[in-house]
Amino acid sequence: MNTRLSYDIIGLTLFAGVILFGVPALFSYDGFELNTFSRYLSLAIVSMALALSWGTAGLLNLGQAATFGMGSYAMAMHLKLKASGDGLPDFMGWNNVETLPLIWGPFQSLTFTLLAGLLIPAAVGGLIAIFMFRARIAGVFVAIITLAFLVAFQLLVIEQQGLTGGQNGLTGLAQLVLFGWKIDIYSVSFYYMVGGCLVAALIFGLYLTHSKFGLVLRAIREDAERTRYFGYNVANYQTVIFCISAGLAGWAGMLYALVLEFASPTYMSVSFSLAIVIWCAVGGRESVLAAAVGAILVNLAEGRLSDVFVEGWHMILGVMFLVVVMFMPRGIYGLLVDAGRVLRRKPASTKEALPFDTPLNPKQES
Amino acid sequence: MSQLQVRDLQVTFGGLRAVDGMDFDVAQGEILCLLGPNGAGKSTTLDLICGKTQPTGGSIRFQDTEISRMLEFQRARLGIGRKFQVPSVYKELTVAENLSVARSMKPGIWHALTHPAIRRSSKMQDILDLVGLQDKMGEPAGNLSHGETQWLEIAMLIAQDSRLILMDEPTAGMTIQETERTARIFRSLSANHTLIVVEHDMSFVRTVADRIIVMNQGSKLAEGTIQEIEANEAVKTAYLGH
Repeated sequence: MNTRLSYDIIGLTLFAGVILFGVPALFSYDGFELNTFSRYLSLAIVSMALALSWGTAGLLNLGQAATFGMGSYAMAMHLKLKASGDGLPDFMGWNNVETLPLIWGPFQSLTFTLLAGLLIPAAVGGLIAIFMFRARIAGVFVAIITLAFLVAFQLLVIEQQGLTGGQNGLTGLAQLVLFGWKIDIYSVSFYYMVGGCLVAALIFGLYLTHSKFGLVLRAIREDAERTRYFGYNVANYQTVIFCISAGLAGWAGMLYALVLEFASPTYMSVSFSLAIVIWCAVGGRESVLAAAVGAILVNLAEGRLSDVFVEGWHMILGVMFLVVVMFMPRGIYGLLVDAGRVLRRKPASTKEALPFDTPLNPKQES
Repeated sequence: MSQLQVRDLQVTFGGLRAVDGMDFDVAQGEILCLLGPNGAGKSTTLDLICGKTQPTGGSIRFQDTEISRMLEFQRARLGIGRKFQVPSVYKELTVAENLSVARSMKPGIWHALTHPAIRRSSKMQDILDLVGLQDKMGEPAGNLSHGETQWLEIAMLIAQDSRLILMDEPTAGMTIQETERTARIFRSLSANHTLIVVEHDMSFVRTVADRIIVMNQGSKLAEGTIQEIEANEAVKTAYLGH
């Protein structure tokens, strides 16, 4: 087992321990306090999803909030239907919609909703990815295209008032009933469910980064051209990681709609999407674990500081991002890695590497 | 039966015929050297074979498969490998990871998803021993010296195990000893691999080439063994200009 894998496993175990045992104990199992924290945990999932595409594969997806929003709307549509009973959702009446629109129908089913919240974002992400990566679009152009998609998609959601509730979003939702368990979002068990989702997502993310798939993605990030000449279908690799990342963002969106009890087009705003990038950068985009920690830390800071600096919080966030980009481009993770390297530094090895013209192993050469 | 057949190969860049009607065959296990003055179309010919550039006419057949319309990765999967002029290793990946990327017999996503990033294998160990990098397995390739980087690149070519390897000036920037060493590796490679090499260093070409093709202005000027080429009047004219 290589050292990086064992560090990641230790890190994940510590993290899971803190999230599942430390935090609940710290808030003395108070459901209201834990509800705020489960909001951070669901945001940590989007952040780690971005770390997969941005950190591992080098694809900066500025439209992460769009797929996140799709997930949240999927969940909210299901809960809105449950809240409306046999009637139409209230906002449809205000918009003169007479019958239930076709795309709302299947969201009566919880199974469909859960699958849709995961697979629709993945499919949309995959579709954009196919067009981009078949055409070998890379670097800053990926960021521009995904950002444009985000803006267009948010406009579409706001414009289609009769379908989506427009600017107001979907409010007045029912409680989710999962396998006969009526979820109270101010309960400790709800916190454990969100925490469990995050830990599962992190295990999945760590598995991906330590597989050959993750290695090939890192190779593509460094030199896509060279990787093609080893026979790897670069566009397919990029498309698959984009799909996975979008699907995880959708999953996080579903949890987020549960925590906040409404879905709103602000989840798909540019500022929210950029905030995800900042969390990921602060934690360290190379590691899914660090990206999750980054999201939790920045949101914790926001929760504490935005009460004090109501207007100034976005300034603080911006300064934080500038400091990270300028002084620690690899985030907190990078600082830890560098610190570890300094601590482990052994006295210089006396054994020099073979110069280039050393005779080869004669057995091999004959 | 020749492994690679190139027929009437052409490519035009904005009116300039960079390669114009190239015809040649390469047999299994042969080392073919491409020579010629700057701008003769040697590197472009390699680019056309590996898929970096799409031809505007003609055909390339590799092991009886027409490849001239295939994408780079499809050609690589058939067994065509490429070494570029500048050393191209992945600097952020470790030596072992570089070799693992290069070992791409199964380049599919499903295989990649179900296998670890690095698998210790005796073959990988043999390759590392061969190039003397066994102590540097966990080192990022960016930390290697210039010589070690070249060793690593050769190790990656061996790990990739392509049947046809295209090399663009493999000895550029090497000392005489390093060039000789590289020449010897090439001779040992040609037992299982076919090589097409673009090279300016004549002493290197003399050591390794089975056959030479001299190019000028995009087409074939002369073809033959080193003795035949050195005696060829047309080649002297092209190089010396009188």
